[in-house]
Amino acid sequence: MISRRALELATAVLTGSFGVAVVVQSLDNGIGWSSAGVDSGTFPFVIGLVIVLGSLYNLVRGVLPATSLASVPIAITQIELRRLAGLFVPAAIFVAAIPLLGMYLASALYIFAVLAVPRHQSLLRSLAMAAATALALYVVFERMFQVSLPHGALAAAFGF
Amino acid sequence: MDNLGELLHGFTIAVTVPHLALMVVGVLLGILVGVLPGLGAPNGVSLLLPLTFGMQPVSAIILLSSMYWGALFGGSVTSILFNIPGEPSSVATTFDGYPMARDGRPTTALATAFGSAAFGALVGVILITFLASWVAQVALAFGPAEYFAVYFLAFASFVGMGGAAPIKTVVALAIGFAIAAIGIDTVSGSVRLTMGIDELVKGVNFVVAVMGLFGIGELLVAVEEEFHARAVSSKIEWREVFRAIGRLPRHSVALLRSAAIGCWMGITPGGPTAASFMSYGIARRFSRRGRYFGTGEVEGIISPETADHAAGTSALLPMLSLGIPGSATAAVMMGGLMIWGLNPGPMLFVDQKDFVWGLIASMYVGNIVAVVLVLLTVPVFAALMRIPFVIIAPLIVIICVVGAYSVSNSYLDVVMMLGFGIVGYLFKKLFYPLAPLVLAIVIGDKAEDAFRQSMLMSKGSLGIFFANKLVTSLVVGGIALLLLPLVLQLARLFRKPEPPTTETTSQEKVII
Repeated sequence: MISRRALELATAVLTGSFGVAVVVQSLDNGIGWSSAGVDSGTFPFVIGLVIVLGSLYNLVRGVLPATSLASVPIAITQIELRRLAGLFVPAAIFVAAIPLLGMYLASALYIFAVLAVPRHQSLLRSLAMAAATALALYVVFERMFQVSLPHGALAAAFGF
Repeated sequence: MDNLGELLHGFTIAVTVPHLALMVVGVLLGILVGVLPGLGAPNGVSLLLPLTFGMQPVSAIILLSSMYWGALFGGSVTSILFNIPGEPSSVATTFDGYPMARDGRPTTALATAFGSAAFGALVGVILITFLASWVAQVALAFGPAEYFAVYFLAFASFVGMGGAAPIKTVVALAIGFAIAAIGIDTVSGSVRLTMGIDELVKGVNFVVAVMGLFGIGELLVAVEEEFHARAVSSKIEWREVFRAIGRLPRHSVALLRSAAIGCWMGITPGGPTAASFMSYGIARRFSRRGRYFGTGEVEGIISPETADHAAGTSALLPMLSLGIPGSATAAVMMGGLMIWGLNPGPMLFVDQKDFVWGLIASMYVGNIVAVVLVLLTVPVFAALMRIPFVIIAPLIVIICVVGAYSVSNSYLDVVMMLGFGIVGYLFKKLFYPLAPLVLAIVIGDKAEDAFRQSMLMSKGSLGIFFANKLVTSLVVGGIALLLLPLVLQLARLFRKPEPPTTETTSQEKVII
């Protein structure tokens, strides 16, 4: 399980490092006032500093055993973590598969996998829904509105 | 009332069988693109444009503008049902619309949204009818300093609400600004904050951020709480649609206030997005039930929707009267105008009376057609809420992925969207507010540009924000809204609200 404190800490570190990246990057653009007016890095620089300082404050607040945090020591339990992973991991694999398989094949496989593997739906129904999803995407985007979705490296290899 | 006579003549042009049929087709197509992720009114209008080349200009503009109304209404559907706003301007609708739908009242939420949206649009059209020439002058008076002041006002009315931990709010807001700054800086043309990834030159589109923060983030929160759609009664709730509409007059104060905010922000180039956020923020502060906002309050839906549509409608005015398109959709329509052989601008009102007044009359009729059609579809959309979570969850993931991709045909956007999903989940879990983050992403860039342009004009002096009556009142109003919660808190601290407290602060406002 993950404690509230760890989660606060991780988030503060995440926002803080984004802030540091913003500060460092904005130095390249120049900060201050030049002949062209306010330099383009000035605003991000100040904003980055605000993020860093704010994150430091949140970090300290998160680590200190403050009364408000003591009441909820556990943020995510084991079961909740498993449920989260059950949704997020397949979604991440789906996204990772898009460059290779293309949007249509990847989304069909994704729908089929999340419905059939945990046995939420029968094999046949999962298959039908997967096919319907891919077909609906194709008809609406590629045909009706002429928005091309990625076909994937695999389809390209077969000459589509 | 010269305008009224022209309008009646316009109605004789707009209310004909072929034109009504065009409106129905346009609205239905508009609802479709509005509901679909990644597609919006600009896509729909551009695709229909070639079909209109053979038509009369009036018929063509009626078809295109009807599509625009349909898309505006359709955009609210996904915000309410799935917490995925299709357009920036419907983000504020998710704050109360989605909780209400999740609590098993999707019909009420949708009907309320559509009803108040129609009211907002109606007020906008009435405004156009009577104040066309005056409004054009107001819009012309807007320079960079006034732009900044309007954005500042929108921020101030929304952000100062409190609720979340103040430092967390500040961090969320600042991250939004930083994300908005990614990409090409429009003032100097230099590339900023790309983190070494060349593709980031194009910046981070708001749709990508919102799909992740709201769509995926909310999904993660929901799955963790083992969320199941509450059993909604399975019969189609027609009566609830009318009951929700019938309850609207009870909130007439909110309706009128939001419509006024919307029209003001539509005429001044603040736009529908700033209008809806501002209206929501002000409603939350002044409503008697303000502290329940965010849990599915009726006024939390009414306020942003009314303001959004009032602003969206009245924003068409600068396009017609000045030839300045206020939005991407308006720009495409203007392209159409030129292809049909018309010149947008002040002369349009003199040379092409039939066209202008036919269009204005069609706005009345088109909005009525749109609201009727969209109310008819409410039960169909509400039925979507009854699909089991295990099926709807992967479908929402696909919607977000496709939506993020189709914004600019970029795989990087999809990956970023997923990243925003994790951020959205963490923020939600730890009570970082998401609304300031999104608002900063959407209008942060414009606000910064306006600020820097005014600094260029004034050579670094802040005096430009107090240079004339218009900008001074906007800035002072913004500062007043920012200080209001502080003043209220002080007043509460001293138990009895002493007049001296408020007086000193109002003096401070002027000094600052």
